[in-house]
Amino acid sequence: MAVTGRLGLLALIGAVVPIVLPSWWTLAGLWGVLLAGVAVDLALAGNVRALRLHREGDASVRLGETARVSLIVENTGRRRVKGRLRDVWPPSAGAAGPRAVRLDVPAGERRRIETTLVPTRRGDRQAVTVAIRSSGPLGLAARQLSRRAPWTVRVLPAFPSRRHLPAKLAKLRELTGQHVAQIRGQGTEFDSLREYVDGDDVRSIDWRATARRREVVVRTWRPERDRRIYLVLDTGRTSAGRVGDIPRLDCSMDAALLLGALASRAGDRVDLLAYDRRVRARVEGASRTDLLPAMVRAMAPLEPELIESDAAGMVSTLMARVRQRCLVVLLTELNPAALEEGLLPVLPRLTARHLVMVAAVADPRVGEMAAARGDLAAVYDAAAAERARADRRRLTAELRRYGVEVVDAPPDEIAPALADAYLALKAAGRL
Amino acid sequence: MTSTLTPDAPDAPPSSGGGAEPTAGQVARRRWRASRGVLAVVLAVVAVAVILAVLRPGAAEQDLDPQSPGRGGTRALAEILRQRGTPVAVSRSAADAAERATAGSVTVVTWSGRLTRADIDRLRSIRGDLLLVAPTRRVLHALAPGVEKAGTSFEKTDEPGCALRAAALAGKVRFGRSETYLPPSGATACYRDEGKPRLVQVALDGGARTVTVLGSPFPLTNEFLDDEGNAALAMNLVGARSSVVWLIPDLPEPGSGSGDATLGDLVPFGVKLFFLQLVLAVAAVAVWRARRLGPVVAEPLPVVVRSAETVEGRARLYRAHRARGRAADALRAGARERLVPLLGLPRSAAQDPNAAQEVVAAVAERVRAAGAGAPPGAAPTGTFRTGPDGRLLYDEATIGAALYGPEPADDAGLVWLSDVLDDLERQVRQS
Repeated sequence: MAVTGRLGLLALIGAVVPIVLPSWWTLAGLWGVLLAGVAVDLALAGNVRALRLHREGDASVRLGETARVSLIVENTGRRRVKGRLRDVWPPSAGAAGPRAVRLDVPAGERRRIETTLVPTRRGDRQAVTVAIRSSGPLGLAARQLSRRAPWTVRVLPAFPSRRHLPAKLAKLRELTGQHVAQIRGQGTEFDSLREYVDGDDVRSIDWRATARRREVVVRTWRPERDRRIYLVLDTGRTSAGRVGDIPRLDCSMDAALLLGALASRAGDRVDLLAYDRRVRARVEGASRTDLLPAMVRAMAPLEPELIESDAAGMVSTLMARVRQRCLVVLLTELNPAALEEGLLPVLPRLTARHLVMVAAVADPRVGEMAAARGDLAAVYDAAAAERARADRRRLTAELRRYGVEVVDAPPDEIAPALADAYLALKAAGRL
Repeated sequence: MTSTLTPDAPDAPPSSGGGAEPTAGQVARRRWRASRGVLAVVLAVVAVAVILAVLRPGAAEQDLDPQSPGRGGTRALAEILRQRGTPVAVSRSAADAAERATAGSVTVVTWSGRLTRADIDRLRSIRGDLLLVAPTRRVLHALAPGVEKAGTSFEKTDEPGCALRAAALAGKVRFGRSETYLPPSGATACYRDEGKPRLVQVALDGGARTVTVLGSPFPLTNEFLDDEGNAALAMNLVGARSSVVWLIPDLPEPGSGSGDATLGDLVPFGVKLFFLQLVLAVAAVAVWRARRLGPVVAEPLPVVVRSAETVEGRARLYRAHRARGRAADALRAGARERLVPLLGLPRSAAQDPNAAQEVVAAVAERVRAAGAGAPPGAAPTGTFRTGPDGRLLYDEATIGAALYGPEPADDAGLVWLSDVLDDLERQVRQS
């Protein structure tokens, strides 16, 4: 039940009456009339329980884009329901427009109410409830009820680096098509024989074929297809740090999506694992066409956990799932404390069987601080930033000693940098 | 302190991007538009109040004063009475009136609103008859027991319609605006308007004395004395006994007992009900506003940790502890790290103390090639070698002190060191 402003207004106007007729009876009569009006309204207001609610519309939306969800209100009662309706969403669902809308559904009819959502964060956004206030004919009181109308909008990562994809694909075509590898590597396969031209490596001459054909013939190689790439997202505490205004995890996801898209086009199999102390998300064995949607769906609800990542557990999980050699791309942060105590001791187990690449998002703020000059505070800032960069360099050098590829780039460059590193590995046949 | 310090520019022109900011005139116009409605209502209220105050019949100080020849005065009546041999004694206080009154006198009580409770008590035991002219409710209750106020009559003239001799002799009387009363049984009631009399006479002490209540002062005043039977009524009422005591009390002294009526006694019952109703109306409005349409939605918020926070924290720690040595080491290590690749030396040389000589020599050579530009500012004495013109010499000793030197002696030394390192790096890059 709810009363309206009209009741208050009438009570206010009614305050003049006792001045003219000063008696307790006046007051009693006044409230008698008002409360009778309230009772009439409550008795004659449309029945909210008789409304049938269901929804349709977008079930998923990219972060930063607009989702439309319709609420269909069907009146199965005998009386018209007139009043206000509020479709309650959590704040981060970004419901636009007025808080509550007018509702007027005659008996037996249905109305559609559109809600526009511009979510501000990744993850699942669930409709909380639908609050309906059905006013009586006098407009003094209303029946109010919250009704459930469940709906979930999954807010997917924005994937802003997909604009880099065409350029990287062009590079990939160059690699696999026209440009044939001359060097035989671990990740190359025999492609064809062709005539020797000036500049070809003499080591690639196929003597047997040359003897048969009586002209010099060289073998060509091409990067091998169907290699396996395992993307590992670290969702531990270091992924919660914000670079600019975006959590490091979101930058890592963006880079992982670009690499996934590129690698699947290159004919490689891509798997995804999100891990901190346990498996948070996993995409395995997705087909080429389904890979990107599957990755995006798996990433959507991921949030950074404020716990130290368990590198040993991550390596064990990985080793248990993957038998064949593959490229393990670890998207984490080059944090000395976390890596030296966590990853480095278990890294040999991983590098013994797999090729490992570590991708880390560098904070441009550290670069700004390192360039700061002028007063004492700025110089101390610069010194601290230099110290941080030295730590990072030391860690990078140490990782490289284990044979790990390291990609360290600011947030807007990490995705293309990681793609380039992958293409370089592929070109060198190291996959 | 240093040349890189940018001075604050007080005469800097204001930013040209101020187009979005409204001008003072626009702000004033907007405020005027927003407030003119309220202003109009306030002005209307003031105007109505002024008009009501002007239209309200005001009471002048000399009204009903037997010494006043003004319109509202009663000098004419007093003179007539004196000529007819009835002395009129004017009293300015109740005590004086009680003293002058005798068993054969009539005490005319005017301006009864000015009487204090003590005054009323004194009048209650007064000797002789009482004539109350338009008394207040309080005086009426105390001095004319049983007579109640009924309302107000605006009927101008009226016939007596009663057995009271004074009224019967006077006949038709012009009253103007007058109070009306509810007489007790046994009282004489005259000049009825809709059954409610304007003149009531009550006999007290078994008929020994009478109290007469006259609802309007107009029949006694100079202005209306010659209208209809006014003079006759006045003469008969006032001059019925051997002497007249005309009580026209002065304003009571502050604190003389007049303030013992509480606000509650003074406020009419209707106004009390009005305020009660106001409270109830406000409560109704509060109930209306208090009822939410739908619940408050809570949701877990993401952690906001800036990634560079640890670096900034370390900078503050350096500053708090004046860790010039550590800061200088960090800055030097960073500069060496960037210089070494430019010099064509192996990267490992950057942090290797044994390679110091080699690095310094290479830097000195490149700086000489660049033309040994001017270093910033004046050097702190004792640390670096300066030329005859007081400027720094970029020889090997100076470069060695900059890249591998001891801890700066003070804060200025640290800031200066950072500038020298920048300068060296710039020169090596340019050479």
